[in-house]
Amino acid sequence: MNSVGLPHFLIVGAALFALGMVTVVTRRNAVGILMGVELILNAANVNFIAFNHYVDAPGRLTGQVFSIFVIVLAAAEAAVGLAIVLAIFQTFRTIDVQETDLLRE
Amino acid sequence: MAAAPQRDAGAPWRERILAILGGLFVVAGAPLLPHFFGVGTPAVLAGQFVGLTAILWGLNRFFFRRLPLSGFVLVLFSIAVFGVLFLLGYFTTEIVLPFVGEFASRFIGLVHLADLGFYLFATMTIAGAAGTAFSRNIIYSAWSLLFAFMGVAGLYIFLGADFPAVAQVLIYVGGILVLILFAIMLTKQIGGDPHLTNAHLALPAGGVLALATVAILSYMAVMAPWKVVAEPQYVSSVQSLGIAFLTEYLLPFEVASVVLLAALIGSVVIARKEIKETTDSGL
Repeated sequence: MNSVGLPHFLIVGAALFALGMVTVVTRRNAVGILMGVELILNAANVNFIAFNHYVDAPGRLTGQVFSIFVIVLAAAEAAVGLAIVLAIFQTFRTIDVQETDLLRE
Repeated sequence: MAAAPQRDAGAPWRERILAILGGLFVVAGAPLLPHFFGVGTPAVLAGQFVGLTAILWGLNRFFFRRLPLSGFVLVLFSIAVFGVLFLLGYFTTEIVLPFVGEFASRFIGLVHLADLGFYLFATMTIAGAAGTAFSRNIIYSAWSLLFAFMGVAGLYIFLGADFPAVAQVLIYVGGILVLILFAIMLTKQIGGDPHLTNAHLALPAGGVLALATVAILSYMAVMAPWKVVAEPQYVSSVQSLGIAFLTEYLLPFEVASVVLLAALIGSVVIARKEIKETTDSGL
């Protein structure tokens, strides 16, 4: 296969997903974990748009619509998640997720 | 060309800058001399040497304050620099460039030129993601995330999705990344914390996990019989997206706006706590 096709984009998406997952499981900094979640959402978006371009019927935009919704939800998730991180920091004075194991002050 | 020492001490800025510019002009223009006048390579090299000396004399003011280069030292230093640059240029033009050119011509025969753009953006994306995953310092992770987001936006353009690409740049790079940087700075974890990684699942285990995931997913992506359309279209999707949002996907669109409103209010309420406490303690 000479030119770039669907599998190339899927492999990039897979690499993004894997690296995001590694970020989520190896970080202890809560902000780092949120960055990993963003990477995973981006991987999903790459797959959505690649399938929309290569597999969906011409003129249909289901994948792009879904990717827009994913971006909207990622923005909401980032805002709420970082607000929670700030609240945790104000309560425990740390954002190490292994030390913040209480639901009360 | 060696200037008098008493001029070196207090020569004004303008003379120095003029000397630098003139030297650059001479160095760049010297190779053209054989085309206009009947001079050979030695004259070109001599002209470049004079230009380089002028540049060094001009840089005197900016870089060598402690050790002013003047007179004999200036000439010696410029000879040394000229020799190094000459060897470097010889090495580059005679050995490296033909090799690179041959390699590139063979490589471009294999890969379409337009596909190089894809590989560029894919490399940028994966390198950024790897930097995010494996960087020790959380602020470097955030900057690597910038490259990952920009690379993904480039991939969207390659897939004919112009509106998602612009939304990616505006929302991820302009919004979420700035939020993340603010959160890092507000939580004072920029540097100095050596225990950034999880003790139970350290980086080697993470690398193995990443490799296994990439291997399985890539095998599936290559082997699965996707029903790929014959001719993928590259048309602007902005108008069709707008129509789709206001007809077919109207209910999810409105629900998304409600979700955004709820997230806005929720994050304000959650993050508001500190202000209340400080005003309480302040009063």
